[in-house]
Amino acid sequence: MIREILVSAFLLIGGLLSLVAVAGVLRLPDLFTRMHAATKTGTVGVSAITIGMMIHFGNITVTSRGVLVIAFFLLTAPVAAHMIGRAAYRSGVSLWILTRIDEWKTHGDLGEEDD
Amino acid sequence: MQLFVVNVLISMLWALLTGKVSVGSLTLGFVLGYFALTLLYPAEEEKKNSYFQKTMQVVRFALFFTKELVVSSWRVAIDVIKPLPLMRPGVIGIPIDAETDLEITMLANIISLTPGTLSLDVSKDRKTLYIHAMYVANPDDLRKEIKDGLERRLLELLR
Amino acid sequence: MVEFVCPIVMLMLIVSFGAAFVRVVIGPTLPDRVVALDMAATIVVALILTHCVQSGSSYYIPAAISIALLSFIGTVALALYISKGGPS
Repeated sequence: MIREILVSAFLLIGGLLSLVAVAGVLRLPDLFTRMHAATKTGTVGVSAITIGMMIHFGNITVTSRGVLVIAFFLLTAPVAAHMIGRAAYRSGVSLWILTRIDEWKTHGDLGEEDD
Repeated sequence: MQLFVVNVLISMLWALLTGKVSVGSLTLGFVLGYFALTLLYPAEEEKKNSYFQKTMQVVRFALFFTKELVVSSWRVAIDVIKPLPLMRPGVIGIPIDAETDLEITMLANIISLTPGTLSLDVSKDRKTLYIHAMYVANPDDLRKEIKDGLERRLLELLR
Repeated sequence: MVEFVCPIVMLMLIVSFGAAFVRVVIGPTLPDRVVALDMAATIVVALILTHCVQSGSSYYIPAAISIALLSFIGTVALALYISKGGPS
């Protein structure tokens, strides 16, 4: 019984967080704020669903694979966001009009690509 | 490191003795084995031994990281609901002490997953990390918060 | 209880999936579209895992892992393409 409630709670949290992430991707004003929503909330949402699945099955094969899925998302989602953000900024995607400061532009080294 | 192997062996032994190999029994065996090992070592030696110290640090960091993850998704949820002009995003540079590739990668990943910040790029001399933040009230406060909170914790774990 | 929750969660995920594709269509620049596609792939992984819970079979978990892997590689490849000049 407790296990069923836990599984349901984790699945619902995961579904709600996916909705929040997509709402952020649709609604926020520029690429970088959208990436905030996609990276953090998307990762936590799919991790919550994975945890729910791990509790539901409860055997060692599924748990080890679930841990693999979560670790993989925690490692790759920030790296992907970092690469897209850097490439987009260098290719001239503009920041939101209300962005306060941009220290990267004022004293960063936006020189030639080195890779 | 040697003690870690011993601890894993104890947890396997526990799982075999209780007769069912599952995640729960392995975890329980590991925790019990850890406490058994701490009992074997006197208190002053326990402080010196790097395995016990590292374990406590890993546990503390894992709890801290989980808390930050939950807070960050909660904050994104609030940001999505709020009217947009309340946001004050900005790009700021943070001087970093992390040196090796592993340290910089971990720091950038963890900054991306904590509330309100997203790492964008590392400068060529590997001294500055440029991040995008959702709310920049005062750039110096934010810089201090990340240096004293996240980076200090991460470096004391990795070094 | 889980039998009732699974369809609800799947409905939420499918709505999110469709909404992510709205951003793919309207996204003003290529990086916006890449972010939305990455999001869609994450939602597909979540859908597969929810299906595993609903049907009670764990055979599809490796499929979820490989979709996550492929979407990461695709995102990185597109990011490199953008940084090398993009479609212009």
